[in-house]
Amino acid sequence: MREKKLSRLTKTGSAALVSSVIGMMTVGVAFANDKLVELQKDEANWVMQGKNYSADHYSSSKQINKKNVSKLAPSWTFSTGVLSGHEGAPLVIGDMMYIHSPFPNNTFAINLKDPGTIVWEHKPKQDPAARAVACCDVVNRGLAYWPGDDKTPAMILKSQLDGHVVALNAETGAVHWQVENGDISVGQTQTQAPFVVKDLVIQGSSGAELGVRGYVTAFDIHTGEMVWRWYATGPDDEIGLAKDFNSANPHYGQKDLGLKTWEDEAWKIGGGTNWGWYAYDPDLEMFYYGSGNPAPWNETMRPGDNKWTMTIWGRDADTGLAKFGYQKTPHDEWDYAGVNVMMLSEQKDKSGKMRKLLTHPDRNGIIYTLDRETGDLVSADKMDDTANWVKKVDLETGLPIRDPEFSTRMGHRSRDICPSAMGFHNQGMDSYDPERQLFYLGLNHLCMDWEPFMLPYRAGQFFVGANVWSYPGPKGDRQRGIGSGQVKAYNAITGEFAWEKMEKFSIWGGTMATAGGLVFYGTLDGFIKARDADNGDLLWKFKLPSGAIGHPMTYTHDGIQYVAINYGVGGWPAVGLVFDLNDPSAGLGAVGAFKELARNTQMGGGLMVFALDGKGPYDDLSVGEYEM
Amino acid sequence: MKKIKTLAVTGATAILLTFGMSSAMAYDGTKCKASGNCWEAKPGFPEKIKGSKFDPKHSQTELDKQTSAMEAMEARNAKRVENFKQTGKWSY
Repeated sequence: MREKKLSRLTKTGSAALVSSVIGMMTVGVAFANDKLVELQKDEANWVMQGKNYSADHYSSSKQINKKNVSKLAPSWTFSTGVLSGHEGAPLVIGDMMYIHSPFPNNTFAINLKDPGTIVWEHKPKQDPAARAVACCDVVNRGLAYWPGDDKTPAMILKSQLDGHVVALNAETGAVHWQVENGDISVGQTQTQAPFVVKDLVIQGSSGAELGVRGYVTAFDIHTGEMVWRWYATGPDDEIGLAKDFNSANPHYGQKDLGLKTWEDEAWKIGGGTNWGWYAYDPDLEMFYYGSGNPAPWNETMRPGDNKWTMTIWGRDADTGLAKFGYQKTPHDEWDYAGVNVMMLSEQKDKSGKMRKLLTHPDRNGIIYTLDRETGDLVSADKMDDTANWVKKVDLETGLPIRDPEFSTRMGHRSRDICPSAMGFHNQGMDSYDPERQLFYLGLNHLCMDWEPFMLPYRAGQFFVGANVWSYPGPKGDRQRGIGSGQVKAYNAITGEFAWEKMEKFSIWGGTMATAGGLVFYGTLDGFIKARDADNGDLLWKFKLPSGAIGHPMTYTHDGIQYVAINYGVGGWPAVGLVFDLNDPSAGLGAVGAFKELARNTQMGGGLMVFALDGKGPYDDLSVGEYEM
Repeated sequence: MKKIKTLAVTGATAILLTFGMSSAMAYDGTKCKASGNCWEAKPGFPEKIKGSKFDPKHSQTELDKQTSAMEAMEARNAKRVENFKQTGKWSY
């Protein structure tokens, strides 16, 4: 069986890899990537989910600022016609905006000069059975854009819940190619936004709650051909380790650990999917992401450190080979899936040395900062002092020093573990203000009880093995089910928080920072808010038609700065509301934690766009009118 | 009376020792067999679950299904790409 697998890799992986590397050397490839970098710098655009390759989610626009943000008002709106959780944000390139929806993953292109008219739409026909194997509502985190070159037109890239990756002509919406990247019959789904680097579309995987072995794949934008695919677990030549893997930090572990840290063949169903956010450094030509939780959640069923789940990866973009991997939560016992946002910054460390950094707020309650060239651990601070599974992270060894009191194991109900499985931070796209050198974190404040149970693996069926009861943390109101969110401003060099504010519910979608001295974010109960970036004071808010679990974005069109956000409550925190569940342990423990949410918002689905005094394209009353 | 007191002290010492030992043996993730390999069985749990009461007894057929699914998808995609390269039209 092993030889067959290696043979397959030789045929598909390595051969494709060679053609890829040759392809990367062409002038056309470099041009397309440079174009994407330039588009990111223009505040008229919002060309990728993280705003730019650094995923700092920071705009230099300041037409909307502290002094006038109170005048922010709705300019125009758009309904997707779909319910369920609306994660992610639309893209804007020039006059065009591209909007996505949860399953059935419809895509809309609209012209910002008259956003009431749909230019094209893509409505895929998917197997409805995909819904049944989605872990936590049928969310989707958005689209990607590739700017085109002399042989292929500009493309919109999308992922579908049923496992397809689709390239659409950005001008017409016509399908350029469509490939399979997941098979729902074995539990593989997709919720992640594709990520474009050079001429590659990089796509992760979902389904660790069904025992899916995680993988990351690159497809050629021109043809849809698979260029490389690497897994999170198993043999090194299937994980894709560079020859110098972790040479700067051998204590992180190097060779053969994808097998040695599992019992027998448990790595084949060991999870480590990656459905979060990617970042890319064009100078180093490395991209960064996190692999998620091992499967099943029941730790007793998988002895070992379970590498390389829960890992921050730094991989070469052309080959996908890993230069470093740092496992944050070895042998996870709490579902602290490590897929969260990777934000890149250039800052002086405590010794005054300028460094290329990567900052990652993890589900496990720790915010990590690494040197993104070497993988060196620079800092690892608790995002809230109530995190109790870990005493601290040893910066010398990189190991978390666990508190056995909050471990989990068969035959035992562990109580008051903080954070909960939902993490102190989840899929939110957060922001970094380079002027203030502050990261703005949208956080959960949730703890839990946890009780494992045994179950056999059946492909395509849920493979969790734990009952979970989540609830607001010690600083919230556990009885009333509120006080489950926080917003904080964090300095990764000093480890200090400039300010912190409690919120009624988790801040699930993340934050956006602007040079106007503002931090924007949406709330589960349906507000979009703006706070003072310096002190956290609340300066503006607006009640949306439904709760927000996506991230805000901003763009400038015809001289007006707009702020936009998806509304549509859902996702993991709102599965109880979406599917009308009442058992507090249902929804993988979320129902009890958010029992109060349904009294604050109901389902909806769409986009709201704001500008100062509500200015916008329809100030000219003739726009959108019938013309003879 | 003295005997009872001695028994009580001995018992208390044993309890303390037991708890102390349990705490010292508890898995805190810092005692590594090799770099990157630091897991230990928790007190009362086996090093290997195969053959123990925690053996999930997975079916080999089930364990191999994901690998088969990936191979099949890669083969179908490769055919689509090949056709696309030859005809210039995407056929699914």
